[in-house]
Amino acid sequence: MTAFDATSTLKATMDRYYRDLGAAAERGTAPVAWCTSVGPAELLRALGFRVFFPENHAAMLGAARTANRYMPLAHAHGYSQDICSYLTSDVGAYLAGESPLSAYGLQGTPRADVLVFNTNQCRDVRDWFEWYGRAWNVPVVGVRSPRSLEAVTDDDVEAIARQIERLVPTLEAVAGTRLDAPRLEHAVRVSRECSDLWELCLRTAAHEPAPLTFFDGTVHMGPAVVLRGAEEACAYYRVLLQELEQRARENVAAVQGEAFRLYWDGMPIWGRLRSLSTLFAEFRTSVVASTYCNSWIFSALDPADPIRSMARASLELFIGRSEEAKEDYIARMTELYRVDGIVYHDCRTCPNNTNTRYGMPGRLADRTGIPALVLDGDVNDMRCVSDEQARTNVEGFIEQLADARHLARSARV
Amino acid sequence: MFSNHLNLAAGIDVGTECVKAVIVADDGRVLGRAVAPSRGYFQACAYDALTAACEDAQTDRRSLDRLGATGFGMSSVGEATACAGDASCHALGAFQHLPQPMTLLDIGGRDPHVISVDDLGRRTDARGIRRCALGIGSFLMFAAHHLDVPPARLQELAAAAERTAKVSSYCSVFSATTILERLREGATREEIARGCIQSIAERIVEIGGFREPLYVCGGVVEFFPGLMQAVQELSGVAVHVVPDPIYTAALGAAMMAFREAPAA
Repeated sequence: MTAFDATSTLKATMDRYYRDLGAAAERGTAPVAWCTSVGPAELLRALGFRVFFPENHAAMLGAARTANRYMPLAHAHGYSQDICSYLTSDVGAYLAGESPLSAYGLQGTPRADVLVFNTNQCRDVRDWFEWYGRAWNVPVVGVRSPRSLEAVTDDDVEAIARQIERLVPTLEAVAGTRLDAPRLEHAVRVSRECSDLWELCLRTAAHEPAPLTFFDGTVHMGPAVVLRGAEEACAYYRVLLQELEQRARENVAAVQGEAFRLYWDGMPIWGRLRSLSTLFAEFRTSVVASTYCNSWIFSALDPADPIRSMARASLELFIGRSEEAKEDYIARMTELYRVDGIVYHDCRTCPNNTNTRYGMPGRLADRTGIPALVLDGDVNDMRCVSDEQARTNVEGFIEQLADARHLARSARV
Repeated sequence: MFSNHLNLAAGIDVGTECVKAVIVADDGRVLGRAVAPSRGYFQACAYDALTAACEDAQTDRRSLDRLGATGFGMSSVGEATACAGDASCHALGAFQHLPQPMTLLDIGGRDPHVISVDDLGRRTDARGIRRCALGIGSFLMFAAHHLDVPPARLQELAAAAERTAKVSSYCSVFSATTILERLREGATREEIARGCIQSIAERIVEIGGFREPLYVCGGVVEFFPGLMQAVQELSGVAVHVVPDPIYTAALGAAMMAFREAPAA
């Protein structure tokens, strides 16, 4: 993966976030709320909570390749190996009393005062939070979102906005403070700014050669995930954006000799980020964009209408949309980033963020003429990954792209 | 021996169960072929297969102008002038026999694929089987071992069965334990053999993407032709076999080597 000067700022930003979270959870300096990745984080920040995103924690377990050590502990508690391996690895790590957050001085997973979910991504997040709610005897509240939406209608938005509003009394009671409208507007404004800056960072990969890859994005998205609504995230993305724009101006490629450009759909395979990054680079192939990294762009957020815009942003999320809406989105991205192929990750334990099972790769290939490759794998459970199969399939796919390009060039001569 | 003006290429497909080698003239004729089991080091197996193919073609290795390699162990063919993935080589090899667009079903020892082949012999799509059903050919070898017959006789056993013992699983490893369960329950070897072939056919049909005309290549069809009938019945698509199916990828590798500039 690419070495960026901004990485030192990233590390410092994440370090401060985790240490502040640890102080809140272990020394009671502030109330702690757990939030799903696209839950109402701005509302929680406005109420003074320190916000923890367990999906980020689970991804750390995956990237460190320790997830498979912890999952059996959750399986032994009746949580199947077929459900979200984020859930099973995170719960397993808690049961083992271990956490990668110990590197930041935390004794383990930070204890929540309240857990707040949004089912816009899946039901598993609710089951996940309810496990901790029972373990700690703390409230679990949330938003139950409709899924498979074609267009996001005003009625849909109103329904979710009402649900967000109904969270407020419980959250105020836990936080011991009243919701202050200007603070919420500020959090939404900062969140939107972070989203816009992150979007600009990702868009630099439309440049040929791309200055960053999807694999780089999965690392640098950290502040957009955990510090949404906080100024620190914006400060970080200003630094990163400056570096990326400079790299684009100077044609500094993330993948030396970039010959092919791909789009990644689906979850990352956290335990294979480096090896996949190296594998694609070996074939001078840059995975320039992804649905996953784009999922932290919330262009609907509007400080002038905070609750309704939070509702709309959560409903417009790719994962909650219909097949048709998803296909339109990916088709737009392939044009924007001028990709030669699409890689779909069929994530064994994450059916909600897997788009290979209802014919989408074939339909999009027919519609766009852009070939597709499906990689079997999983977000955290590395038993579902075959390195040799992945290698063979990637190798063959790049051959196919090279052949097609060679033929197209011959036809032009 | 051949006239001097013929350029010769060898193609080697280093698979998980066997290494296949062919000697091909630049006019596309296959002059020699050989199969060696993949046992021990791939380098040695590839050497054995290539030497035997040269003998079959009545030539020697020094007469070869090009050498194309493909398959699981292609990196072990150090002298290769060209290397390419299995799917591309299967596509090109099948096209050499049948110059037309087709859906090509490659069933080898490890990782079956449904390959779309265009009117130039290029793969335009390749779908693999799910990870937990890898090793199909190896599974059939395992089944033959547990039923105490040589692999080539598994098909014969299956053909003699009056009914099918259910050996259906998502996972080839799990299927293997099912064979033992069926034996314990008293199913005949014939019924289990037929169940194994049926199980493989189910996994293959699940890959999807079958469009006519559908052709099959790879080593498995050579030993287990009953599999084709099962695939045909399950998919509803007529299944045809590429000539010399076990050598398809090796032939494609040789043709690929002809296309590419020889090594300096």
